[in-house]
Amino acid sequence: MSLLKPLNKLPELNTANVLLVENEELFQKKLADAIVLLENNVNVIVRLARSLPLPLESRPRIDLVVFIVHLNSEQSLLSAEASLKHLDSSYFLGKVCFLVTGARCGTLPYERLTSLKKLAATLNSPLLMTEDRTTEGVNTVAQRVLAVLRVAAGLVPMATGLYLSSLTRCTVPTDPDWQNQD
Amino acid sequence: METRLSATATPRNQTAPHRSSKSYGFSRRSLGVELTSRLGCTPGQLTAVRIPTNRGIPKPRNITEQVDPEHIALIVKKEWKLSYVTPLYQFGHTQLQSYSRQLAAFLAAEKQQGVAVEVGQELGFKVVFTAVLGLAETDDDAETVLIQIHSKSAFAAEGEAAKLTWSGWLSCVSGDVEYLRSMPPDFTCLPLFGASGAESLTTLVKSWFERTFDCYFGPLAINSTNLEWLAALWTGCHPDTNIRYLKLAWTIPAQPPLDVSYTVHPQDAWELWNSIRQESGLRDTVDIEEVSCFIKGLESHLFRHFRIYLSAGTLTKVSTTLGSAHQDGKIRITSSDMMTSVLALLTECALLKMPV
Repeated sequence: MSLLKPLNKLPELNTANVLLVENEELFQKKLADAIVLLENNVNVIVRLARSLPLPLESRPRIDLVVFIVHLNSEQSLLSAEASLKHLDSSYFLGKVCFLVTGARCGTLPYERLTSLKKLAATLNSPLLMTEDRTTEGVNTVAQRVLAVLRVAAGLVPMATGLYLSSLTRCTVPTDPDWQNQD
Repeated sequence: METRLSATATPRNQTAPHRSSKSYGFSRRSLGVELTSRLGCTPGQLTAVRIPTNRGIPKPRNITEQVDPEHIALIVKKEWKLSYVTPLYQFGHTQLQSYSRQLAAFLAAEKQQGVAVEVGQELGFKVVFTAVLGLAETDDDAETVLIQIHSKSAFAAEGEAAKLTWSGWLSCVSGDVEYLRSMPPDFTCLPLFGASGAESLTTLVKSWFERTFDCYFGPLAINSTNLEWLAALWTGCHPDTNIRYLKLAWTIPAQPPLDVSYTVHPQDAWELWNSIRQESGLRDTVDIEEVSCFIKGLESHLFRHFRIYLSAGTLTKVSTTLGSAHQDGKIRITSSDMMTSVLALLTECALLKMPV
């Protein structure tokens, strides 16, 4: 199966495409609705997938790939890791972003968030913390995803995804305790 | 002039040996500790507690020689609800008797608050604080303290002994040495608190501790990584003490929610664990990779039969004959042989919750 490439299809005028990848299919529908409701000026197309690769025949243009990871299940993280392999490397120049839910919950193992942070940092991608239980939280994250999407789709003059990602990418602190993790 | 000089010099002389007597370990963080203590902040504030990735193999050992068997009998076989406690200010193991009186008076006062006529209430409380000597593993650990509350109902027959209605303990076993040494001298670190008995009494005891020792109690959850550690730790003991069964429980967020209870024959579990240990070369320490490999092996076995990904859910409970642990912080230790290793693991969980 060939890799998903960002520039295979021609862009349409005033249109932004976002792909939400979530193994559990719990949150992507809610987020998709919130994103579509929020944006009025631009034609936003939200596509949903459980995992990558996408079927070869009907691959649309995708401007931004968002991976939703639920920290309460290991499977969620493993599935995101597996899906990442089906993306072309040029996506990692500012066209990928990670969403994490449940990071506030005290009963979850810290190692999962740590490994996700490392993953996002090595891929130079931003990591957004999300509250998925409240409408307020969903709206906030929809706004943040939209802001990244507008830039990634080239709708913001003078800004590119690569430029934005160099500012927003997740970084792992150079701390002895972090190096201790691996 | 001379007096002024000596006045400025004195504190420096006093603090210098005190500071050098503490060794802060080797991490870069310890530099920060040293700096803040000079600036007058609490030295403990910046000390980092690390999440360990490997541990020594726990060996079942008979602790009845070190610890009074009566004390052990009070701790084992009960289910404890765990909490973490921040360091206690000016707590002394020598003043336990006076604490007993104070807590009894506090409980009685709280119970009588707003009650005009007492009907069928407990008349009085008898509180006993006991130091459980010998549980501490290193010199830096403070000795465990056991608290028992006996109460007598108003209708009890004459001469009837007061019943044990609540018990609890504060413990520290093999705590992080660097953290414990960075503690200011007035503080005692007993980070793990277990309570068994009426919830209302637990709340009262906690509030007494919070008022008296300026500490804070918070709920201690045991996350799935630590439950996995416990499962591996108990399975590893199988050749020495028969664990009879290894029972694991998962909750899977499906519609409707699915609870999976998974019981493994101890011999099978041990053989799987042993093969993983053999593969990584029998070392003295157990790595976190080996533990997760063990759990993944069990998970993939269930997947082969039932097509259920257990990793999509969360591990909520682990139990064997040696004890059981639940995700929401309930633990039962049945065998005194493994008590110290389990308490050491839990102490570590509690220390991770400490303000740093």
